[in-house]
Amino acid sequence: MADLGRAALFVSLGLALYATIVGAWAARAGKRRLADSAGNALLAALGSTAVAAAVLVAALVRHDFSFVYVAQHTSTELPTGYSISAFWGGQEGSLLLWLLVLTGYAGAAVLLNRRRAPDLVAWSVPVLGAVSIFFAFMLVAVSSPFATQTAPAEGEGLVPSLQNPYMLAHPPLLYLGYVGLTVPFAFAIGALLARRTDERWIVATRRWTLVAWTALGIGQLLGAHWAYVEVGWGGYYAWDPVENAALMPWLAATAFLHSVMIQEKRGMLKVWNVLLVILAFCLSLFGTFLTRSGVVTSIHSFTESPLGPWFLGFICAVTVGSLGLVFLRLPLLRSKTRLESLVSREAAFLYNNLLLVALCLTILWGVAFPMLSELVHGESRTVGRPYYDFFLRTFGLPLLLLMGIGPLIAWRRASLRSLGRMFFWPAGIAVVVGAILLALGAGSSTPGLAAYTFCAFVLASIVLEFVRGTRAVGSFTQLVGRNRRRYGGYIVHAAIVLLALGVAGSGAYGSSTERKLSPGQSLEVGGYTLTYRSLTQQRAANHVAVRAAVDVSRGGEVVARVEPGKNQYFAEDQVSNEMAIYTNWLRAEDVDVIADQIDPGGAIYFKALVKPLVNLIWLAGLVFLAGALVALWPDAREQRRLATRYALVEA
Amino acid sequence: MIALSIAAVLAVFILYTSAFGGGTPSISPSQLPGHNGRVSLVGKVTGQPTGDGHAHALRFRLRDRDGSASVPVVYRGSVPDLFKSGREVVVDGHLLNGTFVGVRGTLVTKCPSKYAPAKNT
Repeated sequence: MADLGRAALFVSLGLALYATIVGAWAARAGKRRLADSAGNALLAALGSTAVAAAVLVAALVRHDFSFVYVAQHTSTELPTGYSISAFWGGQEGSLLLWLLVLTGYAGAAVLLNRRRAPDLVAWSVPVLGAVSIFFAFMLVAVSSPFATQTAPAEGEGLVPSLQNPYMLAHPPLLYLGYVGLTVPFAFAIGALLARRTDERWIVATRRWTLVAWTALGIGQLLGAHWAYVEVGWGGYYAWDPVENAALMPWLAATAFLHSVMIQEKRGMLKVWNVLLVILAFCLSLFGTFLTRSGVVTSIHSFTESPLGPWFLGFICAVTVGSLGLVFLRLPLLRSKTRLESLVSREAAFLYNNLLLVALCLTILWGVAFPMLSELVHGESRTVGRPYYDFFLRTFGLPLLLLMGIGPLIAWRRASLRSLGRMFFWPAGIAVVVGAILLALGAGSSTPGLAAYTFCAFVLASIVLEFVRGTRAVGSFTQLVGRNRRRYGGYIVHAAIVLLALGVAGSGAYGSSTERKLSPGQSLEVGGYTLTYRSLTQQRAANHVAVRAAVDVSRGGEVVARVEPGKNQYFAEDQVSNEMAIYTNWLRAEDVDVIADQIDPGGAIYFKALVKPLVNLIWLAGLVFLAGALVALWPDAREQRRLATRYALVEA
Repeated sequence: MIALSIAAVLAVFILYTSAFGGGTPSISPSQLPGHNGRVSLVGKVTGQPTGDGHAHALRFRLRDRDGSASVPVVYRGSVPDLFKSGREVVVDGHLLNGTFVGVRGTLVTKCPSKYAPAKNT
């Protein structure tokens, strides 16, 4: 079986080589049929990679420990669902998933755009092929998931904190996001190679970027929720390098999704857009490098993983190659128009882009800082939470404000009078909300108060946009149907507002307490009384669950019983903390109870946190998905508009 | 205009780094002598840890990742699930009379599933 997997990967590598070499030659020589054949090679590579993936899945399900990978990441006790999820639990499998998703995206992008934009696809195929070569080569030569051994009796098992339903969805979604950014990158590079520097590459890849961006966003929120309910420290984001690895390309892609609108509407920012898409792709490669190479521990240890040097080399080659190409094509990328005023929608978009990129780059600096300082001073220095929180506030709050301004302000040039008319209601509502919150005591945190007030401003301006639009068109559904992209975007903005409220609420207005309790004793936190009642033990399939029964009461009345505790896993010989959460929907806050340390005598060190509005973060995920779907939904009107545009360009 | 905005962003950045310094040094036990302020100590847990981090402070020795220099560590606060002998951990604190005193709540283990390079078996 392992031989079949290895052979399939060899075939994938060969097909990717064919797509790149023959595709590039066909595009250069203008040979249409040969270019089609190169595209077909990518489709075939999807097939052979799928065979390799099927072999690995089969081995995982059958617990075939003669596969080194299977033995290292599963055990016979592991339930089937988690055995399959071990596919992306380790390095080799993750790489295979990368290649599978990549060839999937590549195949679909080729099929769907071949008719509409043949010259663009002809040059994009070799780019997609080249990226596939890298991953196929890594899988064949450097880090194969099909290494075999004499089968041991039992596998090492999966890390307990990965044995969680989120493990089934979070990593694949992130990969859909990371890898999806390859498509706009390939089309951008393809357009430059073909010297077709109009906005067609943007139009052709708009939905791909949106899909990747949505998957990356949802994947991250799932990861945050996973960390919140499972990792058990009461937080959801720790500015960990691995988390930042996913956030950075998402920020770059967000900037890209905004700035392309300027190019489509006004023919500006062409160079900027190409640079953004290169940045997003390089960051997604960098993210994979970061999580998979051990470079986070120390710059000198990255060679401990066979992947490190290869990845670094590939990232450098991609960066240098694409920047060089942009430089060569600069004369073709001149804007036709200039920015007319600093108070206009274009300018608002521009500020938004600068802030997003600034946030992205400061995070990148924070991630790279330990490695850079080790290179320069010979001593690694790390930046922590205060660094990231500072820049999130400094760049994030103005971004929030811009989200309310951007959609209302006029294109080209906005007059003072129109500004006054537009912003009277939103600004008024924001000021009133701010004053009420101040009276309620929200002044204890200035950034928190600012975030709340800005959120009110943005929500008011979004509602105003919907109301105005509906009045003009006459029907709400028609309004959204006619311009799905725009109103889908507003729904996503509303999701970001919810996210900001959740982050500000749980971050700036939370409270926490730690105390040792014996059964019968209680502690107070944020207006709640937690009483520790008793300790129980239960045996499950692959672990022993120790649980403390804790009564949560408020105002003298018991409102819930929660059971925090620990799970002891046998095969993996590990303990995992199981936090308990009581959600008070009426007050929109969570009470998190953690049994930090369980004494043999039954006394427990409890840690309790109250997190206001934290559930808005998860609600934001649903709204975000809804908005993204509205923007993604096929639009017959748009298709017709594009068809005429393509026809014009072809003529 | 664009140049001005970029300059503004850069200025904020430089102001921040000059005001708050360039991060906490992250060092291994052998580099401890000569560091008086707060540092992040990175190393491997050796020997049998004692205490629980609460009533009895957690005591263990931290050794260089690739070397033999080690230092005794005393720590109070929550102890991560994955903490045990042989694990690589990071803890913030400072050296006091030959013992490294950890800051409450800063002990973290380096997640083996994510960071560790592939085991070459």
